[in-house]
Amino acid sequence: MKFSIDDLPIVFPYDRIYPEQYAYMCDLKRTLDATVNASAHVASHYNHVARVIASWKCLLGREKTVSLLSLIVSYQQFYPTRRKLIYCSRTVPEIEKALAELKRLMAYRVECAEGEEAKAKERSFMGLGLTSRKNLCIHPEVSKEKKGKVVDARCRDLTNSATCEKGRAEPGSVDLCDWHENLGQMEPGSLVPPGIWTLADVLQYGRDHGTCPYFTVRRMMPFVDVIIYSFHYLLDPKVAEQVSKELSKDAIVVFDEAHNIDNVCIESLSIDLTRPMLDAAGRSIVKLGDKVDEIKTTNSSKLLDEYAKLVNGLRDPSDDDVEDGFMSNPLLPDDLLTEAVPGNIRKAEHFVAFLKRFVEYLKTRMRVLHVVAETPLSFLQHLKDITYIERRPLRFCAERLQSLIRTLELSRLDEYSALQKVASFATLVSTYEKGFLLILEPFETDNASVPNPIFHFTCLDPSLAIQPVFERFSSVVITSGTISPLDMYPKMLQFTPVVQETYPMTLTRNAFLPLVITRGSDQVAISSRFEVRNDPAVVRNFGSILVEYSKIVPDGIVAFFPSYLYMESIVAAWNDMGILNEVWKNKLIFVETPDANETSIALENYRRACDNGRGAVLLSVARGKVSEGIDFDHNYGRAVLMFGVPYQYTESRILKARLEYLRDAYRIRESEFLGFDAMRNAAQCVGRVLRGKTDWGLMVFADKRFARADKRAKLPRWINQYITETASNLSTDMALTLSKLFMRGISQNPEENQTGISLWTLDDVLKAQAKQKALALEAKEEEEEDEFGNGDITDQMLIDLDI
Amino acid sequence: MPTTSAKASYKKLPGVVELNETHLQWSQDGKAPSVRVAHSEVAALFSSKEGVAQVRLKVAVVGDDNGYSFAFTSPKAQSERDKFKAELTVILSRNRAAAEAAARAPVAPAVPPPVARPVVATPLQRPTLVSQTPSRAASVSSSEQRNVTIIPGNDPATDVRLRKTILMNDPELGALHRELVAMSGQLSEAEFWEGREHLLVSLAASENQAKGKPGQIVDPRPETVDGEIKIVMTPQMIHAIFDEYPVIAKAHRENVPSKLSESEFWSRYFKSKLYHAHKASIRSTAVQHVVQDDPILDKYLEKIDDELEPRRQRDERVELFVDLGATHEDHGETGNEKDVTMIAGRQRGALPLIRKFNEHSERLLNSALGEIPPAKRQKITNENYGQIDIDDLHDSESSAGIVLEIQDRQRYFEGGISNSAPEAARKPVDIKALILNAKVNMDNWPTNLSQLKIEKQAGDTALLSMTKNVAARLDVKSRKNDIPEALFRQMTICQTATNEFLRQFWSSMYPPAAEVQVVAVATPAQRTAKAAKMVGYLSKTQEKIDALVYMGPQHKVDPARIEIAMKPVLNAANRAIAFHRTKTSTSKPAPRG
Repeated sequence: MKFSIDDLPIVFPYDRIYPEQYAYMCDLKRTLDATVNASAHVASHYNHVARVIASWKCLLGREKTVSLLSLIVSYQQFYPTRRKLIYCSRTVPEIEKALAELKRLMAYRVECAEGEEAKAKERSFMGLGLTSRKNLCIHPEVSKEKKGKVVDARCRDLTNSATCEKGRAEPGSVDLCDWHENLGQMEPGSLVPPGIWTLADVLQYGRDHGTCPYFTVRRMMPFVDVIIYSFHYLLDPKVAEQVSKELSKDAIVVFDEAHNIDNVCIESLSIDLTRPMLDAAGRSIVKLGDKVDEIKTTNSSKLLDEYAKLVNGLRDPSDDDVEDGFMSNPLLPDDLLTEAVPGNIRKAEHFVAFLKRFVEYLKTRMRVLHVVAETPLSFLQHLKDITYIERRPLRFCAERLQSLIRTLELSRLDEYSALQKVASFATLVSTYEKGFLLILEPFETDNASVPNPIFHFTCLDPSLAIQPVFERFSSVVITSGTISPLDMYPKMLQFTPVVQETYPMTLTRNAFLPLVITRGSDQVAISSRFEVRNDPAVVRNFGSILVEYSKIVPDGIVAFFPSYLYMESIVAAWNDMGILNEVWKNKLIFVETPDANETSIALENYRRACDNGRGAVLLSVARGKVSEGIDFDHNYGRAVLMFGVPYQYTESRILKARLEYLRDAYRIRESEFLGFDAMRNAAQCVGRVLRGKTDWGLMVFADKRFARADKRAKLPRWINQYITETASNLSTDMALTLSKLFMRGISQNPEENQTGISLWTLDDVLKAQAKQKALALEAKEEEEEDEFGNGDITDQMLIDLDI
Repeated sequence: MPTTSAKASYKKLPGVVELNETHLQWSQDGKAPSVRVAHSEVAALFSSKEGVAQVRLKVAVVGDDNGYSFAFTSPKAQSERDKFKAELTVILSRNRAAAEAAARAPVAPAVPPPVARPVVATPLQRPTLVSQTPSRAASVSSSEQRNVTIIPGNDPATDVRLRKTILMNDPELGALHRELVAMSGQLSEAEFWEGREHLLVSLAASENQAKGKPGQIVDPRPETVDGEIKIVMTPQMIHAIFDEYPVIAKAHRENVPSKLSESEFWSRYFKSKLYHAHKASIRSTAVQHVVQDDPILDKYLEKIDDELEPRRQRDERVELFVDLGATHEDHGETGNEKDVTMIAGRQRGALPLIRKFNEHSERLLNSALGEIPPAKRQKITNENYGQIDIDDLHDSESSAGIVLEIQDRQRYFEGGISNSAPEAARKPVDIKALILNAKVNMDNWPTNLSQLKIEKQAGDTALLSMTKNVAARLDVKSRKNDIPEALFRQMTICQTATNEFLRQFWSSMYPPAAEVQVVAVATPAQRTAKAAKMVGYLSKTQEKIDALVYMGPQHKVDPARIEIAMKPVLNAANRAIAFHRTKTSTSKPAPRG
C-alpha cells in the first residue's frame, strides 16, 4: 500500500498495516528529520553536536523489520541526499532475513513504481550484506578450512597486494586466487548488477561468474544504499577501522535486536590472555626476529623505507587497501596516527626486543598464585617500574606490529594471532584509564589445584565502544522487541535519546499465554536458585513440566535453561530418572551442543520434525547460541518453557567488577542490574516463539522467583500485561489446565474481522492521519484563541474543518 | 509350512498348541480350537529362560499386549518350544518388515512395498466406493439384490471386521443395529450401512495409517527379579540395539556363533565396557573403572564422543536461516571468556548422551522421511519469501472480485454522477444556518426530556412474557428426568428406529447424493420397493407409540406426557406416509397413461 507521512511518500509492501507499525514509522520519520534539521542549524560545529536518536519498541520481529526498512528506503528514495543505511543485526541468520526482507520490499517497490523512470530508479537501488571470509569464500581449498582465522590468513596470502603484484608480473610464480583476480578486471562499482543481494545470492553469483563474493561486497560498499552486517563491524574498533571507515557521516545507523548491545560493546574492548597464548606469542617474536635478521642481509632498503615512513607518522593513506588490512589498532585518535612513532620502537629489531620484554613481563605476572585485580594505571606503573616500558610506545604497539608484518611480507598470519592479541592488549591498556579492569585469575575454579592462569582485561563501561558511533553518525536507531526497561539503556550507554518510545501491541485475541509456575503438582516450590537447583524434587518437577507439556502441546516445544552447566547436568539427571523416556513417547528430543555446526544440524532436524507433525523438544540455553537469533515461529515453537531465571553467574569476578563499576559510575544498583539482565534474557527467549500476530504460543516461566512483582515488572510490557493475577502463581497441574483451555480457544478459526482495530487498511491510515491533524489543529487553536475560552465552537474552527 | 504342534496348557487348561500356514491355534483337549491368532497379528514374542521349570511361550497380538501365554507340558517341552519360537520369529520379522514397508510407502510411492499390504491411497485421493464380489454379509441378505459397498483394497472379511469395530465403538449405533438388523430383521445389513460409508472409510484409513517407530531409545536396564539382577532381552530389543549401535551388530556378526553363543554374547556384552559406553546414562563414566576387560568385545570400543567437537564431523552446510556456525565465524573472537557456567561442554559425561539424543532423533526422522537431499540444503528463498512473509497483512479480498459487465458501463456511471453531483454542487451548505438550526432544535432540552413518557403497557407485557418463558424453562429443567429408565429407553429405541426408517425412506425417495460415488446405484424399481417397505414400517409407528402410551400408567407416568414426547416423531412419520401416498397415487396412473 502507498500512503504518506507528512510529505514523505511511503511504500509499504503489504495491503494492510498494524497500527503500531504505523506509529513506529511516524516516530522513525521524526527522528530522521530531527537530525537533518539539527545538522542544518549547527552545521559549523556539527561534529560536537551529533544527535543521537534512539527509538524503543515492542513490535514483533519481522513486523518491525519490514516497517523499519519500508520507511527508511522510502526516505532514501525520496530525498535527493540518499543517506546510506547501515543496518546492524546480531547473527547471520538475522542478517540474511533482513536482506530477504529488503529484497521483497524492493521487488514490491519496482512493481508499484509508476513510469519507466521511477522503476529504473527503484531497480538501481543496491543493498548488500557483509559477513566474514569464512562465510563468503568459494575458493575450493581455502573454503574447506574449519577455522575462520585460518581462512582469513590463507585468503590474505593469496590476495594481498604484494603477492598480486608478484603474481601478475610473472604468472605462475606464486599462487593467486582466481576468483579475486577476476574481480580485479572488472569496473569498480559494478561488480554485481544493481539490486538487493542476499548472502546466498552473492555466493551463487560468485560461483556462476567466477568472482570472489567477499571482495565483491567489500569493494561495493561505497556504492550501495543499504549495507547489512553484524554489530561488531561497527562497534569493535579493530574491525570497524577496516570495514566501516569510509561510511559517510550522514548515514542512518540502525541497531536491530539491540537488547544486548551493551554486552557487544563490552566484548569488543575486552581481551583475555592465557599462558599458551603468551608462549605462542613468544615463539612468534623469535620468528619475527629471525625474519628481520634475514631481511637485513638480503633487502635492508625495505626496513629503511619503513623507518622513514614511521618518522612521518603511522598512517600512509595510500596503502590502506581492502586486501591488506588484517589488523588495526583498537582505537587511536586520528591525530595520534599522524604523529611520529616513538623512537625506541621505530627500528624493527628494537621493536622485536620491546615485544619480547613485554611478553616476558606478562609471563612473570602469571606466575602469581593469588587473584589480582588492578586498574590499567597501576598496571602501567608496575610495568614501568620493572621493565622501563613507557606508556607512549605501548600505545603504538598494535599499529607498529602491523607495519612490521607488512614490511616483512609474512604469510600465514593465523600463526601470529596470539602476538597480535598481545599487541592489541598493549594498545588498549595504555589508551584507557577509566572503565577498565585487569583481573588475573590463577585458577579456573575455586577448588582447582592446577594453575591455569587467565589474564582478563575487561571493559566495564559499554559507552566507551559506542561513543565513536554516536559521535560519527547523525542518526542512530536502537531498536528491539524486548528492550525493557527503556531508561536503563541511555544510562548505560551514556546518551540522550531524541525519541524514546515503547509501543503497546494491539491484539484482537490473546495470541499467547504467559504462565508462571512456582511449584510442582506436589506443591514443592521450584527454582533454579543455586542452593536448590540440584534437589531431586526440583529436578523432577522441572522434568514433569516438560513431560506434561510434551503431551498436550502440538509440534515444537523449546525449553531454555539458565546455563550450559545446568542444562547438561539436568539432561543427564532426567535421563537417569526416566523422565526423558516419557518425553520420547510424545516427541523427539534435540539438545544444543558445544559445536555450532552440530547444533545447526540438530536445529534443522528439529524443524523437520515440527513440519512433519512428529513434534520435537529442543533443549537449549538462555544467552546461548540458539537463543540468539533463531526464530521459533508458528509450529516451530508452540510453547516455550523457561526453566529457572537466567541470572548471570554472580561468582564471576568480571561480573562483580562490572556491577561495582555500574554502581559507582552510574548509580545502578547491583540487584537492579542483575534482575534487569536476567529478565531481558528471559523475555528474549520467550519472545522467540511469537514472531507475528497470526502466531500463537504458550510462555511458561518455571521458577518461583518469577512470581515476584519486581521481577515481572522488568518484562516488556506486551508480555507483562497478559500475565493475570491468577496466572502468576501456579502449580504445574493448574498451569496445564489453563494451557489446555487456551489451546482449545486459540485453535478456533479467527473469524472475527481484525481490520480497523489491529489491522489497518489504507483508509484506516488516512482516517488516523486526518484525526491526528485535527487534534494538532485543535491544540493549536486552543493556544491561539484562549480569549474565547467559553467552550463555544468558533467560526475559525468551522472554516478550518470545512477545508 | 508344515503344521507344528505340541502339548501345551493355556490358562492352566491342558491342550494342544498348533502352528499351521495361517494361524497359531490352541485347543483344549478334545475340543475345537479356542485360541486362534492369525500370523499377521503376531506382534511380539516372549519366552521363559532356559532351565526354568516351566517352559513358557508368550505371544503378544496386535492391539493386545497381554496376548496368550502357553506353557509347554510334554517331556520334550524345551525343544518343542524352541521349534515354535524359531518359526514364530520368522513370522514376526516378516510382520515387522511389512509394517515398516507400509510406513515407508507414502514417502516413496515409486517403490512398491514388498508385502502386498493394502495402503489406502494418498490423503488427497478420495477413496471411491465400489461394490466387489459378494461379501459374506451380503450373501446373508441375498434377497436384496444388492451388495454391501466395500472399500477398495479391503477384502470382505476385513470389511466385516471394520463394521464390527464401528458398532462396538459406538454403543448407540450398535444398539440401533441390534434392534433393526440383528433382532427384528427389519433392515438388511446393506441398507443399514447405506449412507454410513464414510464411517467405514475413515476407520479403514486410520487403521491403515502405519505407526512410526516408537521414539524411545532402547535402553535395556537391569531389573531385580527374586533377588537376582537380570536384563530381559527380546528379539525386538536386539533388533533395536543393532539399529542404534551398528558396532554391536558388527560384533554380533563376527562372533556369533563362531566364537560365542547367542546368550553368551549378550551376557558378556552387558558386562563389558562396550555396554557401559553405550548406556544412556551419566554414570557410565564412573562405572568404567569397575567393569573388567573383555578381550573380544573391547576391540569394538570406540573413543568416547565427549570432545567439544563431535567425533563424526559433518560438513553438510545447513540452510542459512538456521546456520549457527556462520554467526560463530562472522567475526573474530572478542571479549572475555564466558564464566564457568556458560561454557558449553563442561559436563563431559553428558556430551555423549546429548549427541546420542540428537542422532537418535535424526535417525527416527530419517527412517520416516528419508534423508535430506543435499541439493535442498543450500536452497534458500529464491523468489520464495515464505519464511519472512507476514500473511495477515495481505488483503484477502483484493483479488477475489469479478468485474461486473454492464452494457454501456461508462454511461451508467456518468448517469449516476450527473444525477446527484450537480444538485450537491448547487447547494453550498450554509454552515452557519445549520449550526443555528441545530441550536434552535436543542433549545429547551431539559423540559423535553422530563416530559418524555414511555407507554407502560408494552413494557409490562414484555416483562411478563419473559418471566413466563424463564419459568417454563425452569419447569422443564426440573422435571426432565422423571421418566423411569426402562420406559425411557424404550421410547428412545422407538424414536431412533423411526428415525432410521425415515432416513431410509427419504434417501430412497430422493436422488442419491452426487458426491458419494456409489457405483451400484439402486434401480428405480428397487428404490420404490424399499420406500414401500419403509412406509410399511413407518405406518406401524402409531401402534408402537400407542403401546408406549399404554405402558405409561404402569410406570406411573402421565400418558399425555409420553404422547407429547413422541408427537414430533409421529408427525414426521405421518408426513412421510402422506408423502408416499400422494406420490404413489400420482405416479400410478402414469404407466397406464
